[in-house]
Amino acid sequence: MMATNDTAITPHLGAEPGDWLALLKPRVISLVVFTGAIGLFIAPGHINPVLAAVAIFCIALGAGAAGAINMWYDRDIDAMMRRTTDRPIPAGRIEASGALGYGIVLSVISVLLLAMATNLCAAAVLAFSIFYYAVIYTMWLKRRTPQNIVIGGGAGAFPAVIGWAAVTGHIGLLPMLLFAIVFFWTPPHFWSLALYAATDYEKAGIPMLPVVKGAKHTRLNVLVYSLLLLPLTVSPWALGLTGWFYGVSALISGLAFVYFCWGVYADKQDAEGKSLTKDKPARAAFKFSILYLFVLFLACAIDKLV
Amino acid sequence: MAKRPMPRPELTQPNWTDEQRAEFIRRRRGRNFLLLAALAAFCLMIYGIAIVKLHEYGQMW
Repeated sequence: MMATNDTAITPHLGAEPGDWLALLKPRVISLVVFTGAIGLFIAPGHINPVLAAVAIFCIALGAGAAGAINMWYDRDIDAMMRRTTDRPIPAGRIEASGALGYGIVLSVISVLLLAMATNLCAAAVLAFSIFYYAVIYTMWLKRRTPQNIVIGGGAGAFPAVIGWAAVTGHIGLLPMLLFAIVFFWTPPHFWSLALYAATDYEKAGIPMLPVVKGAKHTRLNVLVYSLLLLPLTVSPWALGLTGWFYGVSALISGLAFVYFCWGVYADKQDAEGKSLTKDKPARAAFKFSILYLFVLFLACAIDKLV
Repeated sequence: MAKRPMPRPELTQPNWTDEQRAEFIRRRRGRNFLLLAALAAFCLMIYGIAIVKLHEYGQMW
């Protein structure tokens, strides 16, 4: 429908090639590629570099395909939010059905290619991760529960497991802990963003925590999750799965993250918990959370070399 | 008998300006090149996987 309205205003000149790439959510892919590559790198055993490159490509393609299906399903709410209104489907540059077909075809290709290049275990986890993001998170949870991002966080946690499985053919304890780290990292990361984008989510009818339970409750949850995350990030070291370099890095960066989340909790606010500082601490916590995850995974890789 | 060119209705949209027509052609060419690059990369990848697998299983060299 959006396309029809837009066509009435400007002639439909077709999509730019970049629009088809934008459907794959390249910013999300960059994080997925990074965590997947670390999973491959830290796994015990050897994998041919060509197959490793293909495995990382498949992880990226699968994540992108799930992103395209997400954009197809969320096209109505994307049109309502400032952050997403210029995406190819709500902007009318790509037909919704085309985006769905594109997502499904790329999903199938990524899974089959990964099975061919590595093993069935990695391909099965990739297939489940696409299903988890596109169906469990996007279609089922996102619009139904304020805990959407808590459970949905699992979707972003799979790449490290897939990378590990691509090398070893099975799933070990360390990749499961990395999975848990990303899982528990996602809520404070996303709720920090949701605190200053709550109006958009409210307009689109998405039951994000600040919309349903209020900013005060969300601030407390951001802090609690950061405190839960800290021992979890240190656990690979405590269990002897990684060395001191990772342990010290996780401890220092984890304490810094708790500090940023404390800032979100203690932000100057009105009676309802709405920020009086234009959510400066929440913005800072959101930015730092990305750096935090990057540091954790990078430290895990460096630790293997130390 | 002279061969008639394929009809290209998108180039004869009466309400399009010359700039819009040129833009349409530019975008379509870009999409075609992207598809070509994707197909070429896919073929190369399959070729690469096949070579590595054959090498791993000792059926070559």
